[in-house]
Amino acid sequence: MTNIVVLVKQVPDTYSERKLTETDHTLDRESADAVLDEINERAVEEALKIKEAGEGEVTVLCVGPDRATDAIRKALSMGADKAVHVSDEALHGSDLVATSRVIAAAIGKLDSVDLVIAGNEASDGRGGAVPAVVAELLGLPQLTHAHHLAVEGSTVKVDRETADEGITHLEANLPALVSVTEKINEPRYPSFKGIMAAKKKPVETYTVADLGIDAGEVGLTNAWSAVQSASPKPPRQAGERVEDDGEGGTKIAEYLVGQKLV
Amino acid sequence: MSTTMTFTEPEERTALRKAVFDLGSSFGHDYYLAQARNGGHTDELWDAAGRLGYLGVAVPEQYGGGGGGIGDLSAVCEEFCAAGTPMLLMVVSPAICATVLSRFGTEEQRDHWLPGFATGQVRMAFAITEPDAGSNAHNITTTARRDGDGWVLNGQKVFISGVDEADAVLVVGRTTDARTGNLKPALYIVPTDSPGLEAKPIEMDLTSADKQFSLFFDDVRLPGNALVGSEDAAIAQLFAGLNPERIMGASFSLGIARLALDRATEYAKVRKIWDTPIGAHQGIAHPLAEIKVEIELAKLMTQKAAALYDSGDDMGAGEAANMAKYAAAEAAVRAVDQAVQTHGGNGLASEYGLGAMIAAARVGRIAPVSREMVLNFVAQHSLGLPKSY
Ligand SMILES: Cc1cc2nc3c(=O)[nH]c(=O)nc-3n(C[C@H](O)[C@H](O)[C@H](O)COP(=O)(O)OP(=O)(O)OC[C@H]3O[C@@H](n4cnc5c(N)ncnc54)[C@H](O)[C@@H]3O)c2cc1C
Repeated sequence: MTNIVVLVKQVPDTYSERKLTETDHTLDRESADAVLDEINERAVEEALKIKEAGEGEVTVLCVGPDRATDAIRKALSMGADKAVHVSDEALHGSDLVATSRVIAAAIGKLDSVDLVIAGNEASDGRGGAVPAVVAELLGLPQLTHAHHLAVEGSTVKVDRETADEGITHLEANLPALVSVTEKINEPRYPSFKGIMAAKKKPVETYTVADLGIDAGEVGLTNAWSAVQSASPKPPRQAGERVEDDGEGGTKIAEYLVGQKLV
Repeated sequence: MSTTMTFTEPEERTALRKAVFDLGSSFGHDYYLAQARNGGHTDELWDAAGRLGYLGVAVPEQYGGGGGGIGDLSAVCEEFCAAGTPMLLMVVSPAICATVLSRFGTEEQRDHWLPGFATGQVRMAFAITEPDAGSNAHNITTTARRDGDGWVLNGQKVFISGVDEADAVLVVGRTTDARTGNLKPALYIVPTDSPGLEAKPIEMDLTSADKQFSLFFDDVRLPGNALVGSEDAAIAQLFAGLNPERIMGASFSLGIARLALDRATEYAKVRKIWDTPIGAHQGIAHPLAEIKVEIELAKLMTQKAAALYDSGDDMGAGEAANMAKYAAAEAAVRAVDQAVQTHGGNGLASEYGLGAMIAAARVGRIAPVSREMVLNFVAQHSLGLPKSY
């Protein structure tokens, strides 16, 4: 029986225009459609595969505003068994250290967790540190950037892939934390039965106080870093078109050399 | 007492729409067009949709289906069309055939066919139209005669969709009334590999992955259990299938309309001829805004028809289903036409796939029932006007 917790986050859809609010430079959640982050769909998929190969229970854990229930429901409709939702006004603008503390405390509320699976980086904040910080706080071995994951008895094996170091083979005793990359799998679509069942699955909600955390330790005013200003990416300039009259390859090479790209 | 009406779909329906749209989009309009242009089908998509239970949403749970209603099934149909991957067989196989069998089939027929409808593994075409019996179904001449325990079927059908993809065809024929000698309608399940059944493809100027066929029945022998339900309930059975057919027809058109409007809007936002994107010109913007209004109205009527049907109100659903089918087809024809216009020359370039949608959208005005016949229905039943035929 493997008890798996999957960390999931609701993010603005990468296909919509993403903005920060003018007032406090936090994410403007109203401006874009909110979805379950795709990397988390992959994390859920991986947990479900482990569960389906043997025995186990998959709990999704989400820290986010009330409307993050949609993202939770999506994970439940894919087949996760239950959910924990930490929602509190005080959390608005929390940095990744505070968020990680909240996640770690929420995991602490669950009994006998064998494996925590997270995405390696959310598509909005892109800090990519939460999995490592959570593992650190819980004293769990961390196996990050996994593009392959296998649970064998009481151990977990991971192929870790990063741009700089290539592939490393990692192994740890359970309980452990794994973060997965985009290459790990193709997430399933929720089946109709999964969709209909999702609403009936238990979702436990907590405030920060429920987790024994003081509201003064979280939120925008207690963040270690602050966004001073933000400006949109300049619009893309029209590209240079190379007509291939037999010399196309040479012209592209010259262009790249001219841009100091090769 | 306060009564509240809600005009939003339940959360599960919204989630279903999103999941179906995502699956359809992962295949995409380009995939669909490539299949259609090369004479292929959309089996991979059909099978994936079947495995996820999207095609069997309305099949009762006891047969492995989703236990939902036509409201769910029509949402699935609309989303696949909106994602650029229309599946015409959805209108016939799960909507007409599965509905008729689950409401009127014998226990044996339900046990045999419904589990396959639940997973999409069974596909059944539906054949009512004949060369001289399209709008006027009373002219049907395909006839079954008793032969011992079984039946012998003779006749001809035309424009029957997806016969090459189907395991069987649900054929609307006639049987000789034992008492009066009059012909009366009856529905038969005819396996597509039955000896004596010939299917000839009809050349159509349609870019569709589902083809149309002429069917010829030459002494096709059928077992006794090929007759659906009881001989006497055939009219009720036929009507049971008509509302879902119209609601699905409406959803099909709605999806096409949404796809066309989406394409037009995206293009109008980025295409610049003078200083502003063309979408800023009211000559482009207003027609698109009008189409948006028409789509929303047609969608609301489709949802109403489905809700009435699912609540068991066949009569009430009839009027709404006809109106929805009419309005959705008109919206689709207009949306595609305006999408082509918005794209200028690109509107007819194969790469954009809009030209191919012109004929596809027109189908909604003709089948499963023509707009004139819908208007006849509204004139007579809703307005009480005299009948001309
Ligand atoms: C792509 C496609 C797929 C199809 N798939 C199927 C299928 O799977 N199964 C199936 O059984 N059929 C199918 N059909 C057939 C379709 O249902 C018929 O084409 C439709 O019912 C119209 O019948 P008809 O073609 O005989 O036209 P007709 O009945 O000949 O009508 C010709 C025209 O006259 C008009 N008209 C007729 N009577 C009146 C009247 N009283 N008042 C005013 N106007 C009138 C009609 O509206 C129409 O405009 C399909 C058709 C198409 C185009």
